[in-house]
Amino acid sequence: MIQQKICLLGSFSVGKTSLIRRYVDSLFGDKYLTTVGVKIDKKQLRVADQDYSLMLWDIAGEDDFTSIRPAYLRGMGGYIIVIDPTRPHSYDAAIAIHEMVKTTVGHLPAVFALNKSDIKTSWQLDTLQYQHLHQFGHPIVETSAKQDLGVENMFLQLIQQWSKQHG
Amino acid sequence: MDKLLTSICSSLNLAIFSRQTTEQFRLLSNTPDWLVFFLGQSVANDSVLTHTFPYLTCFMEDAEHHWQTQQTTPLTSGVWVEIDELGNELALEASAFCANGKAILLLQNLGEKYRQEVSHLQQLREGLLTQEKLENEVHKRTLKIKQREEEIAIKLVSLTSYRDEETGAHVKRIGLYAAAMGKALGWNTQQIDDIRIAAPMHDIGKIGIPDRILLKKGKLTEVEFDIMKRHTEIGAKMLHDSNIPVLDMAAQIAFCHHEKWDGSGYPRGLIGEDIPESARITAIVDIYDALVHERVYKKAMCEQEALDLMASMTGSHLDPDLFKVFSGLLPVMRRIRQEVNEIGDLLVSY
Repeated sequence: MIQQKICLLGSFSVGKTSLIRRYVDSLFGDKYLTTVGVKIDKKQLRVADQDYSLMLWDIAGEDDFTSIRPAYLRGMGGYIIVIDPTRPHSYDAAIAIHEMVKTTVGHLPAVFALNKSDIKTSWQLDTLQYQHLHQFGHPIVETSAKQDLGVENMFLQLIQQWSKQHG
Repeated sequence: MDKLLTSICSSLNLAIFSRQTTEQFRLLSNTPDWLVFFLGQSVANDSVLTHTFPYLTCFMEDAEHHWQTQQTTPLTSGVWVEIDELGNELALEASAFCANGKAILLLQNLGEKYRQEVSHLQQLREGLLTQEKLENEVHKRTLKIKQREEEIAIKLVSLTSYRDEETGAHVKRIGLYAAAMGKALGWNTQQIDDIRIAAPMHDIGKIGIPDRILLKKGKLTEVEFDIMKRHTEIGAKMLHDSNIPVLDMAAQIAFCHHEKWDGSGYPRGLIGEDIPESARITAIVDIYDALVHERVYKKAMCEQEALDLMASMTGSHLDPDLFKVFSGLLPVMRRIRQEVNEIGDLLVSY
């Protein structure tokens, strides 16, 4: 059994808690309820004959009132940065968070999740921003916690990066 | 533990542990009800708190350092949330400090304090979301207005292309050269965007010049030249008073692009920096592009020849400092020349 700690990071209200709730409990709530502090969930799964136990750290979104404590990232095996492409501000926050994580813990498996793909017509990311995200070299997954799109794939993308690392 | 201390711990929802080994902690206080579910069988024994509360794995390194250095002021872990036996959220926070030489870990159920904090942050973040939405809407609408302004400006530019020898590619290049100059001069994004659209309109007043003069093959007579000179004033009149920044700049350029650095230009004979910078830039890039491209009435000059000629015009016709900036940007200007060519380019298309 491989145990891994995964942190979900991103601006506030991008859907980190909803993605975990969808993945762990197959549930979704429409109302925005802010997260304060850290919530930890567990998920066990089997991928390519290998058992994984994932500790999913749902870390309160960054804004003017709270910031991510570097200590939260200790022992992390990989991370997911969630962006709400309907809110350009969340893209800027994602880039800043990614830089902070790289500076704090170095290069680790990561995934960028473009959440709220159920309202893709309202997305506002432009080509340059997409290109910039691609340049980081991490998978970019479109997700919708609401419609359960891409959620499992988002975690699988992270697991595949560990598989590649460990041959 | 005496009764008073027990009562205080109960009121504050506190559990007090003392560290036994690096991993194990012994409960010194009574076991609060909320903690029983989490500690289970280990209530009576020493507990490995990082197993019970995985969140503490990110805190113990700092706590350990705090204990090792015998700090008596509490170091807090930050809040984390557990789910109790009823499925309710329980917000906890740990504090590490030393008391009487012992390493102490306090665990507090934040209860109502946490709920108030959540409610407060919920309100603030909902406010931020609303503000973001409004700013986004304003940004989108401003962009739409700007796009419309640009479309109108481009239509205006295309009018001149129908009347004289200049091609769409020429006017487009003028805008791009001028924008590159603006950028190098440290202009803000808005001004750079404006000159990209405004500079190509410098000759828009030619629309008011009769064909017999505008399209005359030979040399203009003095009277004809006086009429031709009026294209600066006609252009400025066409563009001024719009209250649209890009057209205001275009009016300024149209009016002043034939002024010369030494004051010998027209229509007003302005000298040096009295000539708006946008017009001085346009004069340089217009001359450059005209010299290095072929026209019906002349052959293209090689670039070095054109630059030598322009250098000889600095101080009299062209702003010497701006010409230096232009010369420094030659690789950029050459790329613009290569990318924006004349083929099939009758109208400007951005």
